[in-house]
Amino acid sequence: MGNIDDLIDRLAQDTAAVKPAPHPYLLSLQWTGVAAAYLILALVFSGLRPDLMLKLQEPWFVTEIAALVCIFVATSLSAAILAFPDLHQKRDAAFAPVLTFLLFLPVILCAWNADSPPAPLPVHSFECTISITLVALLPAVWTLYIMRKYASTHGHWAGSIALLFAFSVGALWLRLHEINDSILHVVEWHYLPILVFGLAGLWLGKTLLKW
Amino acid sequence: MVPWPYIRAGSGEKLHNKFVTDKTGNFEALMILSLNGDQRAYASLLKETSRFLRPFLAKRLSFTNEVDDLLQEILISIHKARHTYDGKRPYKPWVYAIARFRLQDYLRAHYSDQLRHALELSEVEESLPEYVTETTISYESIRREVQKLPAKQATILQLMHQEGYTAKEVAVKMGMNESAVKVAAHRAYKILRKKLEK
Repeated sequence: MGNIDDLIDRLAQDTAAVKPAPHPYLLSLQWTGVAAAYLILALVFSGLRPDLMLKLQEPWFVTEIAALVCIFVATSLSAAILAFPDLHQKRDAAFAPVLTFLLFLPVILCAWNADSPPAPLPVHSFECTISITLVALLPAVWTLYIMRKYASTHGHWAGSIALLFAFSVGALWLRLHEINDSILHVVEWHYLPILVFGLAGLWLGKTLLKW
Repeated sequence: MVPWPYIRAGSGEKLHNKFVTDKTGNFEALMILSLNGDQRAYASLLKETSRFLRPFLAKRLSFTNEVDDLLQEILISIHKARHTYDGKRPYKPWVYAIARFRLQDYLRAHYSDQLRHALELSEVEESLPEYVTETTISYESIRREVQKLPAKQATILQLMHQEGYTAKEVAVKMGMNESAVKVAAHRAYKILRKKLEK
């Protein structure tokens, strides 16, 4: 008991005015804004796919991009909430990515179904995964770095969602940059590797978000 | 400009007195004062917090020293994470989230440590006494020894342990008094123990 009282006295003496962390919605907005600016910059440097205007007339391509944007926003929101020890008492909002992934799945299945006759597979394969990873690297490092300043009690999930957020930037970038109509290739070399990185984030989060 | 969050610099002392003396403890207001750098409010808040966390931990841990150690760790964690609380939402769920997190960490470390130091049975097998659960005393051997007892003692044991009579019933049956039956049975046990221990 004496030890506890001593500790409390020491902590009280050590305390000074502290600026509280921003609300997770605001934090998420900041992250989304910065990541969107980064995406635009990446697209300016690398260039948009030349047939983008044509593709934007295809409903399943537009739906796919919209679903990806939803994932991008939902993961950013969830990551911001997961950075707080009590999830800012908004547990339901932390599950937002589940909903968007459930939305994304039928969109991809419909896009796959609509890809008839199937578009020819591009000659490249893993290069897409590498490109997405390279583009996602900076947002991933930055997001995890910011999250370390908070106090996540869900390290595994926070890490996973942070990586999914970063990789959704990479996925969006490649979908808007690469001339590729094969949904099979997109699933195999764009989206499935992102899920693998999401799983790797479970471990990374636990390691990096310790406090 | 008004300093964060809603308290003017001059009103801190008044609020402090109001909340610190309030026995029910307005944790949210105390935390707001603490975030503004009020050391007394912070000390009161941590004291109140440790008061309600102690039973929470005591229910989940076996030893008092464990509770104290973990409570200290939780208080330090609260201190480290205090910037993630803004005073606009209930304080207790925030504290319990940190407490549960540290408790899980502690239990995980504790049990993994126990497993690390646990010995495989095969490692200690050599040093164990052989046949610890095996005995040479069997029902038959006891029965044999009972038959070797003086007739009166043998009959008493047979009636009491094979046929289930009480000492009182045996006494009536054999025309003895109850205490004599008990004494005879006691002597018979002693003889049997000696013989069987050999």
